Amino acid sequence: MQKISIDPITRLEGHGRIDIFLDDAGDVANAYLVIPELRGFEKFAEGRPVEEMPRITPRICGVCPEAHHMAAAKACDAVYHVQVPPTGKMLRELLYSAFYVADHTVHFYILAAPDFVLGPDAHPAERNILGLIHKVGVEIGSQVIFSRGKAMDIVGMLGGKTIHPVGALPGGVSKAINGEERAQIEAWGHELVDFGLFSLQLFADVVLANQGYVDMILSDTFTTPMYYMGLVDENNLVNFYDGKVRVVDPEGKEFVKYTPEEYLDVIAERVEPWTYLKFPYLKKVGWKGFVTGMDSGIYQATPLSRLNAADGMATPKAQEAYEKFYATLGGKPVHSTLATHWARLVELLYSAERIVELATDPDITDPHVRNIPTETPTEGVGIVEAPRGTLTHHYVTDENGIMQKCNLIVGTTNNYAPMSISIKKAAKAFIKGDEVTEGLLNRVEMAFRSYDPCLGCATHTLPGQMPLEVRICDDRGDTVEVLRQNM
Amino acid sequence: MNRAASNIQVPTSRPKTLVLGLGNPILTDDGVGIYVARAAAERGQQEGVSFAEASVGGLRLLDVIGGYERIIIVDAILTRDGEVGHIHRLFPNDLRASLHVGSTHDLSLPGALALGRGMGMVLPEDEDLVILAVEVDDVLTFGETCTPAVAAAIPRAVEAVLAELDPGEP
Repeated sequence: MQKISIDPITRLEGHGRIDIFLDDAGDVANAYLVIPELRGFEKFAEGRPVEEMPRITPRICGVCPEAHHMAAAKACDAVYHVQVPPTGKMLRELLYSAFYVADHTVHFYILAAPDFVLGPDAHPAERNILGLIHKVGVEIGSQVIFSRGKAMDIVGMLGGKTIHPVGALPGGVSKAINGEERAQIEAWGHELVDFGLFSLQLFADVVLANQGYVDMILSDTFTTPMYYMGLVDENNLVNFYDGKVRVVDPEGKEFVKYTPEEYLDVIAERVEPWTYLKFPYLKKVGWKGFVTGMDSGIYQATPLSRLNAADGMATPKAQEAYEKFYATLGGKPVHSTLATHWARLVELLYSAERIVELATDPDITDPHVRNIPTETPTEGVGIVEAPRGTLTHHYVTDENGIMQKCNLIVGTTNNYAPMSISIKKAAKAFIKGDEVTEGLLNRVEMAFRSYDPCLGCATHTLPGQMPLEVRICDDRGDTVEVLRQNM
Repeated sequence: MNRAASNIQVPTSRPKTLVLGLGNPILTDDGVGIYVARAAAERGQQEGVSFAEASVGGLRLLDVIGGYERIIIVDAILTRDGEVGHIHRLFPNDLRASLHVGSTHDLSLPGALALGRGMGMVLPEDEDLVILAVEVDDVLTFGETCTPAVAAAIPRAVEAVLAELDPGEP
């Protein structure tokens, strides 16, 4: 069997690469994404006061610290059996909505849009935000910088710090907002709604108006039916901060809806001998290998899956965008990996609308934002939707609140198996009989970029353009050809 | 429209030189940049110089460095066959190898600098942005202390920072 390795993380030898195995005929047999795994968080956390977790766990990730902050705070609420007052909950969700606007903005404009605006075959040196500005105009850059900046200003205002927020505590948040702050957030929120609409219009103008891109989105190469996971509110509408986790099957029917404390009844983790990674799957469907469909327990947790798993969006403009999404792509559920980018923009608009909704709630300036925990701490699970997937924190403490056991399922982890499968499909289309077609690297990169994987879920950041190395090996493992991009 | 300008202007009173420790203080050697910056802050306080630490890259890094005319970043680095504890002196265009200055989720540092400059931000020229990168060993295990060879490099790295701040000193 031949093996092709795509090595995106050249700085960490032996970790973080894509292995593509060819069969004897030279066609793709399997593809696996191998991500560097951080070791020993459970041991690191054990013995610490559990209330430190909302401050420590954001350090796990330099990309979505706010998601860990919120999941940890919610797990602490559960450990201490304390109810968060309504305004405390709204302020957390307000911060979280602002974070979503910033995160989705960065992903779409920096990572996704250049592929479409400049084209997947554009030279990597041009296929970036600067190339995008050059082609579409400096206005785009201003919009991105301004909107992301305002969203992060809201995060900083509510979280105490912009980079690693500290505002959420067991039982609520550390500070209320006054009328002036509320008015400022509302004003920015309206501008972010405009930005969300602008972004969807850009997508319509650049991508949907180009039949070639629509065909690519709907092509078999980027289509993978599977189970879909997402947090929903009591009306089965998308929610990022709170609710139950709903999973729908590949035909869109509800498979299960579970509360955070039930997650171990639903999710199991598969261990494979060739990687440190564990592959979560639906326990009741079972692990059937790297295949998808009704009989395989593999699911995804992404912007696309959140839309598929819900019945709609809880805000009006996002609901309109949601309906257009499904009307254009042939109804629910949508199975196209590349549609994830569009789904992300629907979520961006929802988050912006939610900022305005929360900022205009009559109780948002109520000073009662925290209930001091008084119960004996025991065990608790906190779940939020991180931008890159459902994030679960599970803590067990002694009666003094000292951590005894800790388990995290981070967003990207949910998607390890789907990413491997999507990469395999993309690779199959561009490798035929030993011959690697021009465009393999870009397409494979596009296949896993839509999942926006956290490589190592930490601050192990690298040059922004993903370096890729494809090594084509013969049966004995000898390299016969090397292809490189961004190296 | 130039709405971006309201977001990116910084107070004129802000010191113009920044010493920035980058890294993750709960991932063993990954925190070395932060430890060096903290130690340098104890000895290198002077007018016009401020010290900061962060665990971010890309656009989030731009939030931190905007408004400064000269920046000294201290970061961790892993190079092929690198000698653990060795201190590299790099500039933005050398940065492919650094662990933190870019982000796979948004921009490389050169990309972020180009975008920021294009949007009118006050940012240093490339030659005024020095990256002192300490060759590290373990950045994948959770822990709050460095491995011995990296810990031993911290005093040398602090001296290197102070020398950057005051090149006239012997």
